[in-house]
Amino acid sequence: MFKILKGLLLFVFAGGLLAGFGEGKIRRKTFVAREDLLDRLAEIAEQKGYSLYALVNDIFELAVRAEEAGVNLKRFLEDYVAFKRARDAGFILEPERLCYVMADMAYERFKGRIVREWFEAGVWFAKRYVMGGGGDSWEGFRRDLEVLLWNVQEFEVERSGDNVAIRILSPRFSEAYTHLFEAFLEGCLEAFGYRNAVREVYRGRIFIKAVKGVGGAAEGQ
Amino acid sequence: MGLRKGSKKLVYVSEDILEAIAEVCRRKGVAVGKFIEDALGQAVRLERIGCDLEEAARFFEIIKAQRVLGGVFTPQEVFNFMVEAVYEAKREELLARCFESGRLYGRYMRERFNNPAEALKSFLEVSRWDLSEVNVASENGVTRLRCVSTVLGSEDTELLAKFIEGAVNGFGYKVSKVDIIRGLIIIEFKQV
Repeated sequence: MFKILKGLLLFVFAGGLLAGFGEGKIRRKTFVAREDLLDRLAEIAEQKGYSLYALVNDIFELAVRAEEAGVNLKRFLEDYVAFKRARDAGFILEPERLCYVMADMAYERFKGRIVREWFEAGVWFAKRYVMGGGGDSWEGFRRDLEVLLWNVQEFEVERSGDNVAIRILSPRFSEAYTHLFEAFLEGCLEAFGYRNAVREVYRGRIFIKAVKGVGGAAEGQ
Repeated sequence: MGLRKGSKKLVYVSEDILEAIAEVCRRKGVAVGKFIEDALGQAVRLERIGCDLEEAARFFEIIKAQRVLGGVFTPQEVFNFMVEAVYEAKREELLARCFESGRLYGRYMRERFNNPAEALKSFLEVSRWDLSEVNVASENGVTRLRCVSTVLGSEDTELLAKFIEGAVNGFGYKVSKVDIIRGLIIIEFKQV
């Protein structure tokens, strides 16, 4: 016992390596970090029944994996939170090609009804932000929409005064899916009180310019 | 509710992970201290908003797969509506598309993961939030995958089952039994 303690003290003071201590034979090093963060993580670890060492290692492992995959941890965690919000908003993640085929078939047979469904889904999705209160509801909406559109090549939103412009470019969209997604965006904009002024929709490309309208669904937002 | 900044503390970390961090930081030209502090800060933030690091880690691999193979977010109500709208007239074509789509995912999982059946389970849990339970169990060389949902219609259930059959086929495994009723899928398969 004394030997272990002596070894531990030597390690802490020298900042060196320690082998065969505690959890397995993994070689460890010490590092310095903000005390407040470590205290909070120690609480979290205790709640979960982990050691602080295990939790900190898990965090760093995830951070390294994220960086190696070309995304930083902050961005990944933001996406993760947005994905969870998408789930709460009633979205499912479907194989892309399957979804486009389904959209093509439905559009061909029931164009009016299916466009209406997508439009209403857009209103419903945006209403969550409009009615959420607190913070910048538009910015939250824009950020989450960007996550939902993770499969598109270009997504730009410009908002200036009473005007908003949305541009989407995705060569993989089918013709029908492009029109349906445009209906979804129209629904979103209507929920925020915008009325379409310009609308250009071609396969894989959507451009909408809208203006804050009188009597919009969320006038004054 | 910010955390008090100021004093520092020593903590242990595995040497292998620190070396990996040092390598990432070298490549990116970032100080190791900043990387470490950012990572810890993000983890605290994640927990504070009620998200789970373990789930995030699992999610990471699956989302990477979805990025490669192409996943699209669809409002579930709209998806269900589309299925119902075309199912009757295009049932066979839809089932064939689901099988093919599943086979593509299955092949990818076979290449990327040591245990493709577990990967499929995670994939379904992460992507199909309409499933309330996904379970994989193996016994005597036979793997049984069970999906339960209280919201899936009979058409959606059949299409999802076909997707899973396709995925199993993509693993290179053989499906030995399929049981489907509305909201419940049980598929048994074994390695050929």
